[in-house]
Amino acid sequence: MVALTTPVKSEGQRQRPRADRGPSGHTVARPGIGWALPAALFFTLFAIVPLVLVAVLSFASWNGLEAPRFAGLDNWTGLLHDPVMIKSLWLSVLLTGLGVVTQTPLSILLGVWAAGRQRNRAVLSAIFFVPLLLSATAISVLWRALLDPNFGVPAQARWLFGDGNLLGSRTGAISVLVLVATWQFTPFHALIYQGAARAVPEVLYQAAAIDGAGRVRRFFHITLPQLRNSIITSVILMVVGGLTTFDTVLILTQGGPGTDTSISAYYMYQKAFREFDFGQGSAIALLLVVVATVISLIVVRISGYDKMAGTKEGM
Amino acid sequence: MIRARFSRTAAVGVTLALGLSLAACGGGGSSSGGDGEFHVLVYGDATNKVEKRIVETFNKTSKVKAVLDTVPGADYQKKLQTVISTPKAPDVFFNWGGGSIQPFVKSNLLLPLDDLIAKNPELKSNFLPSVFNTAEVDGKAYGVPMRGTQPVLLFSNKKVLADAGATTPKTWDELLDAVKKIKAKGVTPIALGGADQWPTLMWFEYLYDRVAGPDLFKNALAGDKAAWESAESRKALAMIKELVDAGAFGTNYDSVKYTDNGSPALLSTGKAGFELMGSWAYSTQQELNPDFAAKDLGYTGFPTVEGGKGDPADIVGNTNNFYSVLKKTKHADAIGEFLKLMYSDEFVKAQLAIGNLPTTTNTAKFLDASDNPDYLKYQFDLVDKATSFQLSWNQAYPPAADAPMMQAIQQFFNGSMDADAFIKAMQALSAK
Repeated sequence: MVALTTPVKSEGQRQRPRADRGPSGHTVARPGIGWALPAALFFTLFAIVPLVLVAVLSFASWNGLEAPRFAGLDNWTGLLHDPVMIKSLWLSVLLTGLGVVTQTPLSILLGVWAAGRQRNRAVLSAIFFVPLLLSATAISVLWRALLDPNFGVPAQARWLFGDGNLLGSRTGAISVLVLVATWQFTPFHALIYQGAARAVPEVLYQAAAIDGAGRVRRFFHITLPQLRNSIITSVILMVVGGLTTFDTVLILTQGGPGTDTSISAYYMYQKAFREFDFGQGSAIALLLVVVATVISLIVVRISGYDKMAGTKEGM
Repeated sequence: MIRARFSRTAAVGVTLALGLSLAACGGGGSSSGGDGEFHVLVYGDATNKVEKRIVETFNKTSKVKAVLDTVPGADYQKKLQTVISTPKAPDVFFNWGGGSIQPFVKSNLLLPLDDLIAKNPELKSNFLPSVFNTAEVDGKAYGVPMRGTQPVLLFSNKKVLADAGATTPKTWDELLDAVKKIKAKGVTPIALGGADQWPTLMWFEYLYDRVAGPDLFKNALAGDKAAWESAESRKALAMIKELVDAGAFGTNYDSVKYTDNGSPALLSTGKAGFELMGSWAYSTQQELNPDFAAKDLGYTGFPTVEGGKGDPADIVGNTNNFYSVLKKTKHADAIGEFLKLMYSDEFVKAQLAIGNLPTTTNTAKFLDASDNPDYLKYQFDLVDKATSFQLSWNQAYPPAADAPMMQAIQQFFNGSMDADAFIKAMQALSAK
């Protein structure tokens, strides 16, 4: 750990194994493993330890009152035979998929547009990013009031909303959740794309312009391919975020009507904190961890993200 | 199957992990270890000012002091479940009786109050029996009523009824007739906060009572699954269906909530004719729409059903809230003294002053001096004369049944589940 404080001095004495050749040929000293210690400690304490405990609990039956009892595979076989569980997984995947499909194009367009350095864009971007500053709870309460069928927007626009039974019908409730998520998270992903679009080397556009490429061609043949890494990052964030969506469901629909928006994360809460069946709740939690990990790995694999060595966007 | 016991430490660890702040930063000094004091845990809301006052009164004379801890309402049940089996558990706690304390009784955490009642019979005899019984489990008393009773009543907008030429319905047929007349005027006949789910449940509770009498549900709760399949059960379901299909609730009721004042606003603005709701709806309207509450807000009991077994005097709702005592407390006698205050004149007057209707036998003599004597007298007579006061189904069952029951109720009501599927869902509820 002493070496940490004197990275420059050590350079001439020995070639350290962690040293890396930067693009300009200079040797760049990477920080030692000690730097990771605080983060690793917190991660272990607040992520690994609870995860292990949840895994243990998923094989137990516990109502929070008496000591947990070992229940073997009961919780897991229970999940397999629970139609609501299977429905909830499907709903999670559906909502996540719809989220990716709606948010990605919007946030790319918005991000690339906001990457321009014109003053009006800066002002408008600042306004677009406001939802990012609001808490999910506030957002849900706000939308709930806006969408009230008798006194909200639907009451004023019957031609569009019909009887306004948005949160009371399956399609309506799912659409509302997708809409609110889009409104809430698009700014965040747009921010990622804004940064990435600004990092695209200007020379590429200049070369393309000389070749006679128009605005649209430049977008599809330069900007989009250059944003590839950011797209993958953003999609993974959307997938993980989508699978663990909880607060908006809790406030907007409470899993309803019936169980039509009981996504897995909400179902986990319902089992653990409404039914006080912590064993089942833990099993669902663990299942969610596995599903999210598998999906993320697949995305990484398909995209070839794991084979990219460069540190520059898209190169 | 081998059933091993996990270590207590692991359990606490998981509590911390799962409950996050619930367990970790719960209620500072809420420990019963302190000498000369006991802790009282209550649901945090506007009624707390009465509870504070009663605790102060008690502490003036008692050597053992009571300490009041409040938990914000929405988190109350979760917090309670998390702490009750730990050393941080309170000595006395607020609950809804029935299924809400059943798991605690089964885990042997609660003190039967029979000894305290034997020493001081007034602890039982000074309360209306239909209410006191709600906190009995397996024939033993576990709770003393400590707030107001909340029967469910049929509220109406008198102006809407008059405009449509409808009268306050005494029978089911009259209700159907009123629905038809109001609908013809282009007004939603009945306001319903279906998104909250429990307002929908109230229709089931009353129709099952009126058609089959109170025993069907009692038997079902006791484990008789055949009760849900009976002809009477099917008849009640068919009547609910008939009402929904007649357009009584409009079409967007599942997007409306009572809790964000959506359905009360429908009633007060004349966009609906009726609303079936707990007695608290009166004070909600008084607060939100004082003019409407004073002029046009009507209230009545649930209509009778011809040929039904249920006594028209039967009511459903929240019988009351209760104080229950933990077995491990060191101050049972002091708590016995504390519970006596729950039928004191001071308690009754303080509750009436904030609009709650206590269920003590001495309540009647204070009603004349209250703010809404007519309304409170009407309710008190209703509760006093009721042959059966059915606790809300979701509270009669243990918490584990709550979510699945509510989902089935909502799905049958909006037509996404048929009677057979509903019966099956109710049979699958765990009554243990």
